[in-house]
Amino acid sequence: MMNIFHKQFFLFDPLSLFFLLVIFIISLPSAVYSFGYLKGEYSSAKITLTWFLLSAFVLSMAFVVTVGNCLVFLVFWEIMSLVSYFLVVFDSTHEKSIKAGMIYIVMTHIGTAFLIAAFLVMYKYANSFDFFAIKNACQVMPAQTKNIVFLLLLIGFGTKAGIVPLHIWLPYAHPQAPSHISSIMSGVMIKTAIYGIIRFVIFILGINSSWWGVLVLILAVITCLVGIIYSLMERDIKRLLAYSSVENIGIVLLGVGLAMFFISVNLPYLAVFSLIAGLYHLINHAIFKGLLFLCAGSVYKATGTRDIEKLGGLIKKMPQTSAYFLLGAMAISALPPLNGFVSEWLTLQAFFLGVFNVTGGTRLFLGICAAMLALTSGLAAACFVRAFGITFLGKPRSHYAEGAKEVALSMKIGMSFLSFLIIIFGLAAVKIMKLLAKVAGGAIGLDTGAMSFSLNSFVLSPQAGKDIYLSTPLLLLMLTLLGTAGFCIYMLFGRKRVITYRTWDCGYYKLDSRNEYTATAFSKPFRIAFSFFLMPYRRTQKIRESFYHVKSFTYETHTTLIFKKYIYDPAIALVFRLAGSMKRIQPGSIHLYLGYIFVTLLLLIIFMHRF
Amino acid sequence: MRELILFGVLATTYLMVIAKRAPALIRSFRYQSFFLFLITLVAGYTEKQINLYFIALLILILKVFIIPHGLNLITKKINVEENLGLFVNAQLSLIVALALTYCSRVFSETLGFGMDYRLAAITVAFSVIFIGAFLMISRMKAFTQVIGLLVMENGIFLFASFVSGGMPFFVEIAVFLDVFVSVIIMGLFIYRVNKLFTHIDVNKLSSLKG
Repeated sequence: MMNIFHKQFFLFDPLSLFFLLVIFIISLPSAVYSFGYLKGEYSSAKITLTWFLLSAFVLSMAFVVTVGNCLVFLVFWEIMSLVSYFLVVFDSTHEKSIKAGMIYIVMTHIGTAFLIAAFLVMYKYANSFDFFAIKNACQVMPAQTKNIVFLLLLIGFGTKAGIVPLHIWLPYAHPQAPSHISSIMSGVMIKTAIYGIIRFVIFILGINSSWWGVLVLILAVITCLVGIIYSLMERDIKRLLAYSSVENIGIVLLGVGLAMFFISVNLPYLAVFSLIAGLYHLINHAIFKGLLFLCAGSVYKATGTRDIEKLGGLIKKMPQTSAYFLLGAMAISALPPLNGFVSEWLTLQAFFLGVFNVTGGTRLFLGICAAMLALTSGLAAACFVRAFGITFLGKPRSHYAEGAKEVALSMKIGMSFLSFLIIIFGLAAVKIMKLLAKVAGGAIGLDTGAMSFSLNSFVLSPQAGKDIYLSTPLLLLMLTLLGTAGFCIYMLFGRKRVITYRTWDCGYYKLDSRNEYTATAFSKPFRIAFSFFLMPYRRTQKIRESFYHVKSFTYETHTTLIFKKYIYDPAIALVFRLAGSMKRIQPGSIHLYLGYIFVTLLLLIIFMHRF
Repeated sequence: MRELILFGVLATTYLMVIAKRAPALIRSFRYQSFFLFLITLVAGYTEKQINLYFIALLILILKVFIIPHGLNLITKKINVEENLGLFVNAQLSLIVALALTYCSRVFSETLGFGMDYRLAAITVAFSVIFIGAFLMISRMKAFTQVIGLLVMENGIFLFASFVSGGMPFFVEIAVFLDVFVSVIIMGLFIYRVNKLFTHIDVNKLSSLKG
């Protein structure tokens, strides 16, 4: 039987090691952070429980990315899902947590069901659950079967990753877990699904036809846009970040899908390059989303609310947390020279190279994808201007924000570590890209030694001999020089007079926080621009004493969650209807139950007589 | 001789189907058990087995005297003299019972025992089992469920004794004890149900369901 020390039980190839790295560089600062975060938030028994669950969670993820056997993979995949479920419902006294947990566990099990189906089809051909045996068997698998397996895997892993019609659980589940867990869930857990796609579709199954890559690209583009638009509308800071994770998974999938496409049209060099871009964005997203969730947790810990409309002015109360959040927001908005910029630049370059190397309609398609990615980046920048501006700038909008204090040291250590990584991954882009080339080459099954990415110690360029270069250290230098120059000019010729005045007063006098710009107001242009998708509606209610005197006036504006309304609600209603009609055969009458037995017996006898 | 007794078993079963009141049902059950006793006695005589005499004696004591007597006591105590509550009326029940007998006949032929008296015996045994189940389903009072079960048990006993020449002695004894204990338990149960709900109409128990 299965021997745990069998050499195929574990698989430590560069791809696994890369994901192992991602898991541990996010989990470590999160664990440190949790010392301060959990203190005073939960009872000591519950704190012990989180430590247990956290360890189990991290370990199960580590096993998921390193085992070399489908069956074992499934076991750890399921452990990971269950442990994270327990973490989602950790605040089990809240109605919301239970609901979030319910949505999460249902969705994740739907995904697992598809995975099991895919693995069983593979098993049928390989007669083994071992990765390499399946890889060999996939060579002789009929194309039709391969397509089915691909779709099963895509839905299965897509549910965990949060690809758009299946993203529904993410904005519920991630915010409900304790913040350091949210950071691991959003930063790392959903990435295990990307690992699954790379491992099972690219590495094991092998790319069959070009529509696979195109399908993934289309889904990725939709995921990006939907994720960031919803993120722009969100008021709960952790839900905002969760939707932003949906967007970033889309960007990662753009890289992965592009790689799949390039493999199918036999452009191995570009395939490796695209996968590098995807993996680079994956680790970057893990880092800055981890950081942002930790910062959001700090804000929650300090103020007791996650509603950004009720925050504001935190930059004065919590300067360090604000700085970390700002850095994370800059990275996620892809501002140079930080890490997010590098990976989004690489992804865009991969698209451009694709446009130059293919012909026909595909060329147009790739161009549109690149444009969508650019749009997404722009919206992401707007989203994080809003998130940072409304949360940290201006005046406190409620007593929650007024009473905020800077958080404990251990939390700051956790956040500063990730901030440090953001800068490192931005500046050391060349080194990291070299390492990622090995990972990507290993996954695709190509030797990247022969490929030239024309890297030297400062500059990274997607193609040798072309005039496209990127060098983050030089960018930093330039930005510093420009900044210094600007500062000098300001000091020399600028106005010397300094007026200290109220925040966001606009030269007026005595504006209080109720006059300030709000998050809802900030996102209004986007609500109008994307009204075909968001379908905003408003509800007003006037209570009049007489025709001339309105006693009270309420105004609400909401957006329609179209996936929930048009896909999930009907599906849930259908399930309930079916369950209701099944219930009719259970009327609670003993006679009827006896009758069922009797009729079954008679039918069986008649059946036996017939045949 | 055997055929005559089998006919008696079947006839008493039909009597049960058309019975509308509890005492009539119990009386028919008593007659059926008596015919069962006779059959076992005859079998013991022809096969010269002392075990069968003993079992016949047990049938006589338990099923002919003690159990019907106990059931009578319960009916007196909780006053179910009135209707048994028929879902299916007596005439229709009889038609169903005949149909079930036909089914048993057809089914027995498929078992392949040849055309001797054993075919008739097995037909009767199955009819008794089916009609017992039918009684359980088609009567409202919890009381009939007990009797239906006992009738089914009689059918099974009949079947076993003709197919295998009787079950091993200790199995037989154990089954008797089982039946006896279950009747006691169900008697108590009916008594309690009656006390709690002031009726033993199983049909009304469905209101307990959430």
